[in-house]
Amino acid sequence: MSKAFGPTEALIDVDFDLHAGEIHALVGQNGSGKSTLVKILAGVHDSDGGSIAMDGEEFDPRRPGEARLRGLRFVHQDLGLVDSLDVVENLALGRGYDVRFPRRISWRHERRQAHAALTDLGYDLDVRSLVGSLRASERTGIAIARALDGWESAARLLVLDEPTASLPEAEVARLFDVVRTIRARGVGVIYVSHHLDEVLAIADRVTILRDGARVGTFAAEDLDHDRMVELIVGRGAAGSGEQSVSPARDPASPGAPSEYEPSLIVEDLSGVVLRGVSLRVGAGEIVGVAGLTGSGREELGPALFGAAGRSGSVSVAGRVVPADRPDLAIEAGLGFVPADRKSVGLVASMVVRENVTLADLRPYVRGGLLRHRAERSDVDTWLGLLDVRPRDQTLGTMRLSGGNQQKVLLARWLRIRPRMLVLDEPTQGVDVGAKAEIHRRIVAAAHDGAGVLVCSTDTAELVRVCDRVLVMQRGGIGAELVGRDISEERIDRLCLS
Amino acid sequence: MNAETTTRARRRFRFAVDRFSGIYIWGLIILIFALWVPETFLTTTTLRVLASDQAVTGMVAVGLVVPLACGVFDLSIGHVLGFTLVATTWMNVNTDINMAVVTLMMVAIGVAVGLANAAMVVKVGVNSFIATLAMSSILQAFILFVSNNRQIAGEFSDEFKSFGRNVVLGLPQPFFYLLGLTLIIWFVLEYTRSGRYAYATGGNPAAARLAGVRTDRFITVSLIVSAAVAAFAGVVLAAKLGSASLTAGPPKLIPAYTAAFLGSTQIKRGRINAWGTLIAVYLLATGVKGLQLSGTEVWVDDLFNGVTLALAVGIAVYRRRGDAPGGLAP
Repeated sequence: MSKAFGPTEALIDVDFDLHAGEIHALVGQNGSGKSTLVKILAGVHDSDGGSIAMDGEEFDPRRPGEARLRGLRFVHQDLGLVDSLDVVENLALGRGYDVRFPRRISWRHERRQAHAALTDLGYDLDVRSLVGSLRASERTGIAIARALDGWESAARLLVLDEPTASLPEAEVARLFDVVRTIRARGVGVIYVSHHLDEVLAIADRVTILRDGARVGTFAAEDLDHDRMVELIVGRGAAGSGEQSVSPARDPASPGAPSEYEPSLIVEDLSGVVLRGVSLRVGAGEIVGVAGLTGSGREELGPALFGAAGRSGSVSVAGRVVPADRPDLAIEAGLGFVPADRKSVGLVASMVVRENVTLADLRPYVRGGLLRHRAERSDVDTWLGLLDVRPRDQTLGTMRLSGGNQQKVLLARWLRIRPRMLVLDEPTQGVDVGAKAEIHRRIVAAAHDGAGVLVCSTDTAELVRVCDRVLVMQRGGIGAELVGRDISEERIDRLCLS
Repeated sequence: MNAETTTRARRRFRFAVDRFSGIYIWGLIILIFALWVPETFLTTTTLRVLASDQAVTGMVAVGLVVPLACGVFDLSIGHVLGFTLVATTWMNVNTDINMAVVTLMMVAIGVAVGLANAAMVVKVGVNSFIATLAMSSILQAFILFVSNNRQIAGEFSDEFKSFGRNVVLGLPQPFFYLLGLTLIIWFVLEYTRSGRYAYATGGNPAAARLAGVRTDRFITVSLIVSAAVAAFAGVVLAAKLGSASLTAGPPKLIPAYTAAFLGSTQIKRGRINAWGTLIAVYLLATGVKGLQLSGTEVWVDDLFNGVTLALAVGIAVYRRRGDAPGGLAP
């Protein structure tokens, strides 16, 4: 079995081959091309050249049903289960039911089959229980069982995309047993992950991608953790990172946290993944938060702001921020740009102007009345300042490009001059020009005395704007880098360790 | 500069035709019937009957604008109106309480119903559609209980009757209640902070909450407003009819929704709003009245209402395709 790819934008001449009955791990950083490779296999993306063959027979995964017929199966990170349906119904999603006359579903038959499929993988479940009530590892098991069984052709290849991202550590071992069971059936497994310890524990071979190119394929026993980090991060990357735009990190000022007045004080913050996080951000300081998905990085911003459940104490410039009350958090001087601007950031049915001013309309109220003219001129100033294009505040917000939408969201918070600004993925899905502008604004806000916390998966971004970077590991702060110690390579290494 | 001004002016003009299409269509409807049945359609009686008949429906519809703006449904308004209609008449027949006090009591009942709806929606988290549907059924039980399943004939004083029947400036008094209510709700939604927050709540509750909007509070208040307005409309209807029909209230629900949604294609396109709703109420009523006077079959009325709504909203949604999602429906 072998597959070969030609150049795509995200993937450059990557050769990849998989044997039957082998667990082959695919590792690399964000944007290294792992998901592009998987998506080409799944037929989501076109390859711009190159070929894919199964048992020496070339085929085109873009043709509907082709990949499935050839025995390719996928379990994506979000599993694709319906919580409100039971196990049997979830297993039948996609492939359908065996029906009797007159198109009647024989539930007894379906249940027996479902039970058999799960028992084969080592699960003993009541197949009538709702999937939403099951444990994470059981849900993963169901998604795998669904991928493998009951289709018109036998499974030959299973792709597992970050299967442990939402699993507690204790349940990972169980998943490994399942994956080994599948290997024993002679199915080839592509295991996509950024948890290197897992990869070393389960994989037979490891292919490492970096910047869309294959670094190499290695037998797992020839690798250890440190060597893998080295290969993933790449030696050349060190030092060639982006220049810092942060003024506080000039050689003259080393940027030690002690020289700032505290703007944000967090003590013993806990949530779903977060465990007892304490941190401080000074006024005028820009602190970055790095971490793999699942490390607690993505939970920190919402938890601080009170948008997600949490325990522990948060205070901004001496004022306590209660949990679950964003309005009081704003009152206390906190601003929060969420990662998902479409679903929890912008109001799609409102025009640009209304979205910019939503967080505080008080400046435009005189005598209980909203003064539209004052609002208009203020918004125009902000759109100009952030270079939003087109500079038209009457436009439906969703008509703007992603970068401009993000600027509108940023303007909303910069306008109210928060004492502490928390940004979650501030430049996700944003073009290069807008990104630079957003970075300039973040730095300017800090320069004006706001404390800034930037949670980001974009390491280059953290290097570029931050005075200090915290690296999240398993729900806590695992490491801290200050001033000139901050580099992409260091952050990436710390994320992986 | 010059070219820019021209395109701007052109865009604004086209926009205006869009936003006010209801008024043009209304004019067209009037024109058609004026030519078709001039002797009956173009009379002050027709005008007065139209203004009077639709005042109650109009109030319910304009009150409904508030919860729809906040993104929640209130299906209980028809039954709130039906209940206060029956209760007002019952109080009149069986007690000596001053009618002004009765009116206040009825509005208080509306507020209580709104609070109960809000408690289910906000505190318990029941979908507003279901919660207010349940409330409708409960209120229907109260209607039958109070009236003993019989129509109650009122013994209203002339003073109270004039509350629903007086003619001012050639138009019936309830029409001015409707006008006043529309003005207030329009003003609050357009020119106050609360209005902006209400629309934000309806547009994206999660985003509004993260921008500091107390979305729960706005939903609560909106459900109180719609129920209180419907309760008041019930009192007005009692004064107008002089008796309590058991079946007068609930059928106001669908016309109210029709008007609110049709109205969302007007004035402030894609957004539920008070003036648009008022225009829609009268556009539909004028069309129906004209058809009645032209001697068409009874079923034509409902057909006209349904087709107009489907066409207006359909065209609006089609034209906005690729634009902001949502908007029309909460």
